Amino acid sequence: MGQDNFAPQKRSSTGGAGGLPTIRNEAGAGGRNRGFPSMPRGRQMHKTFNNIKITILCGFVTILVLRGTIGVGNLGSSEAEAINQNLIEETNRILAEIRSDSDPTDPDESPETELNPNVTYTLGPKITDWDQQRKVWLSKNPEFPNFVNGKARILLVTGSPPNPCDNAIGDHYLLKAIKNKIDYCRLHGIEIVYNMAHLDKELAGYWAKLPLIRRLMLSHPELEWIWWMDSDAFFTDMVFEIPLYKYEKYNLVIHGYPDLLFEQKSWIALNTGSFLFRNCQWSLDLLDAWAPMGPKGPIREEAGRILTANLKGRPAFEADDQSALIYLLLSQKDQWMDKVFIENQYYLHGYWAGLVDRYEEMMEKYHPGLGDERWPFVTHFVGCKPCGSYGDYSVERCLRSMQRAFNFADNQVLKLYGFRHRGLLGPNIKRIRNETATPLEIVDQLDIRRSVHGKTESKS
Amino acid sequence: MIGKCLGAQRCRKIHRTLRRCKVTVFCFVLTVVVLRGTIGAGKFGTPEQDFVEIRDHFYFRRRAETHRALVDEESDDSKLDPDKPYSLGPKISDWDKQRSEWLKENPDYPNFVGPNKPRVLLVTGSSPKPCENPVGDHYLLKSTKNKIDYCRLHGIEIFYNMALLDAEMAGFWSKLPLIRTLLLSHPEVEFLWWMDSDAMFTDMAFEIPWERYKDSNLVMHGWNERVYDQKNWIGLNTGSFLLRNGQWALDLLDAWAPMGPKGKIRDEAGKVLTRELKNRPVFEADDQSAMVYLLATQREQWGDKVYLEHAYYLHGYWGLLVDRYEEMIETYHPGLGDHRWPLVTHFVGCKPCGKLGNYPVERCLKQMDRAFNFGDNQILQIYGFTQKSLSSRRVKKVQNESRNPIEVKDVLRSLHPAFKAVKVSSS
Repeated sequence: MGQDNFAPQKRSSTGGAGGLPTIRNEAGAGGRNRGFPSMPRGRQMHKTFNNIKITILCGFVTILVLRGTIGVGNLGSSEAEAINQNLIEETNRILAEIRSDSDPTDPDESPETELNPNVTYTLGPKITDWDQQRKVWLSKNPEFPNFVNGKARILLVTGSPPNPCDNAIGDHYLLKAIKNKIDYCRLHGIEIVYNMAHLDKELAGYWAKLPLIRRLMLSHPELEWIWWMDSDAFFTDMVFEIPLYKYEKYNLVIHGYPDLLFEQKSWIALNTGSFLFRNCQWSLDLLDAWAPMGPKGPIREEAGRILTANLKGRPAFEADDQSALIYLLLSQKDQWMDKVFIENQYYLHGYWAGLVDRYEEMMEKYHPGLGDERWPFVTHFVGCKPCGSYGDYSVERCLRSMQRAFNFADNQVLKLYGFRHRGLLGPNIKRIRNETATPLEIVDQLDIRRSVHGKTESKS
Repeated sequence: MIGKCLGAQRCRKIHRTLRRCKVTVFCFVLTVVVLRGTIGAGKFGTPEQDFVEIRDHFYFRRRAETHRALVDEESDDSKLDPDKPYSLGPKISDWDKQRSEWLKENPDYPNFVGPNKPRVLLVTGSSPKPCENPVGDHYLLKSTKNKIDYCRLHGIEIFYNMALLDAEMAGFWSKLPLIRTLLLSHPEVEFLWWMDSDAMFTDMAFEIPWERYKDSNLVMHGWNERVYDQKNWIGLNTGSFLLRNGQWALDLLDAWAPMGPKGKIRDEAGKVLTRELKNRPVFEADDQSAMVYLLATQREQWGDKVYLEHAYYLHGYWGLLVDRYEEMIETYHPGLGDHRWPLVTHFVGCKPCGKLGNYPVERCLKQMDRAFNFGDNQILQIYGFTQKSLSSRRVKKVQNESRNPIEVKDVLRSLHPAFKAVKVSSS
């Protein structure tokens, strides 16, 4: 660059005003412009031309460098990236379509009619003799008894919405949660119903469990208990068995604290994330009394206001099933409370925040089978809402904690097979017991079902 | 400056040289930067890595935490000895005897839960990591619900696996160590039913004809001619098969496993399989091709206990079935299990959890929805509901509720089939 400028400079200096031969530096080498008073036009143009060349060259180099660092959109993306991009776009489009549930082929889509607020909502035709009907059925069908091997027949009911989660990771944790429930129920001989349908469009959301429980009770007379469990609750004690013998005189078993309920009238005195309903007339009546606050729209909104006014600590939002049950049991205490068992001897529902950080301590000091604060039966991730968009806690903390609870429980299942997770966060497992040619010696010791069965036999 | 000391000519020369040097250095620096930006410069990194490092530096604490959490988890595994041949576990030769003794000592855990009904364990699974495709986990969830429903109706237990038991046998081979572990840990299980996560039950009423297999130890969907004569790599399907718990099964797993260990062994085996089997594309060895090869080459040893079933769809290739669901609903009824009302619709090649399958994503997902609804309808109808259409997620009531539910006999009979009846003790 400098050389170009040199030749004309030299010529100009010799042909110029005859002064000192000065070295004129143009752009690129920093200026020591001693400046001849006037320059011929041609030289000026040449100078400008050189400046432009340099500018273009610099600009070109800058673009190259930027492209190397940031990239310039689709001018620079490679083919793999393009395929990736297409796939992501397509998936997002399909997701959007699925979520909107637009069904262009449905001709009978009648417009949603608002529920008449003057007509009391009912879950179904009133049944008054369910105990009798059930007894008749059981006597006619002895091959479907309500007690199997001395144990009452239980059905675990859970569910999630039919659409993909707003947050994709939510579906992954729903999957892990259902695997966790499958494991517990396999070890304890409990059947599972996983619901993904809105059986009653009036009672959607957390209220959806009411019509579902009623339907299942009436379709399965052989069931003695129906156990509702939220999709965000994990079993963390695989050995613990519900002590049903304690509840022979009761029809509803729910986790909570009597003083919070009766004295403080707190909206979290009980938890409807995990509870047991006996299959009987009393339960049908309770469901009928519980449902009226549920139908969505003005009824639910109005009910929400009543609940916030009457229960301690309740924020203002539409009526939820938990607050409604608490209000019902408080206001109609004499009618219902004699058959309600408020359980807090073990964590039929265990609030996660106080438990998840202590898992390592528990593994060191205690053992499965306790079910209480030493080794919680259920860890329930209230307020986390991994499936939805807005929870009360940070997403990262929730997900880490759910993963820890899952691994904590999974360790108890894998023990029979000779494995455990390396840590409570990662997916990897390691072998803790060498394989042998006589595996059955260990199976007897470690199979949880054998130890559970042994216990129930000794009790009966 | 310096020039004044050395003389004007000298000075000019030095300036010239300096200028050239400056320009040279400047160009050199630019070249290095550009090259680093495009190609990367090995351990000196790329600008993207710089960005990542800077970002990480600001989140150092978080990194330290996760690092701490992972440090005890990712400790080094002892590397597999390359000279030792791979084995699934210590050789057991008397499993039948061990098992029958155990069954005798444990009458509370019989291997037959009914006169013609063996105890069955359905085994399926998926990766413990979230799917790369954001909707993949949702479809795994639906598929699991579908399996829960069928198994509840038919008295079958489920084992959902999310653990990689043997790092050597990753991918489609991971079922082998899992199956072996489960067979040995559950002697009460008579049949182990492996089912892929991308397979769905579409006939909720069909019960497997167990008596047909009383002399067989392995039941797969397939055709004898295609496996033994043509050596077709899709002559059978290992996405849904039944394996009887016994010594024969352990021996078969041992004979099946050698092509599995990942790396060189699997790649080499893949080449052998592509050469030997009909129509097989070039890729690493998979368990299905290995099974075809094993049966075709060692027929005398295994063939008499293998039943290749094609009278009903123990595995049903989705491409041939999904468009006909409406026709099936109109013309036929559940309980047939075959081309009229398939037992299983298996979405081979769709890979909803991964990124790239063999078919367009939209078709796969839409059809999986339809298959799910087709199966779910049969459950909902028992409870008096139905899906509005095969593509919709909404349900509607089809049967009015009664005040006397136990008199609605048909409903209760579907929910209480004979094969679920508990043995009534004669007292």
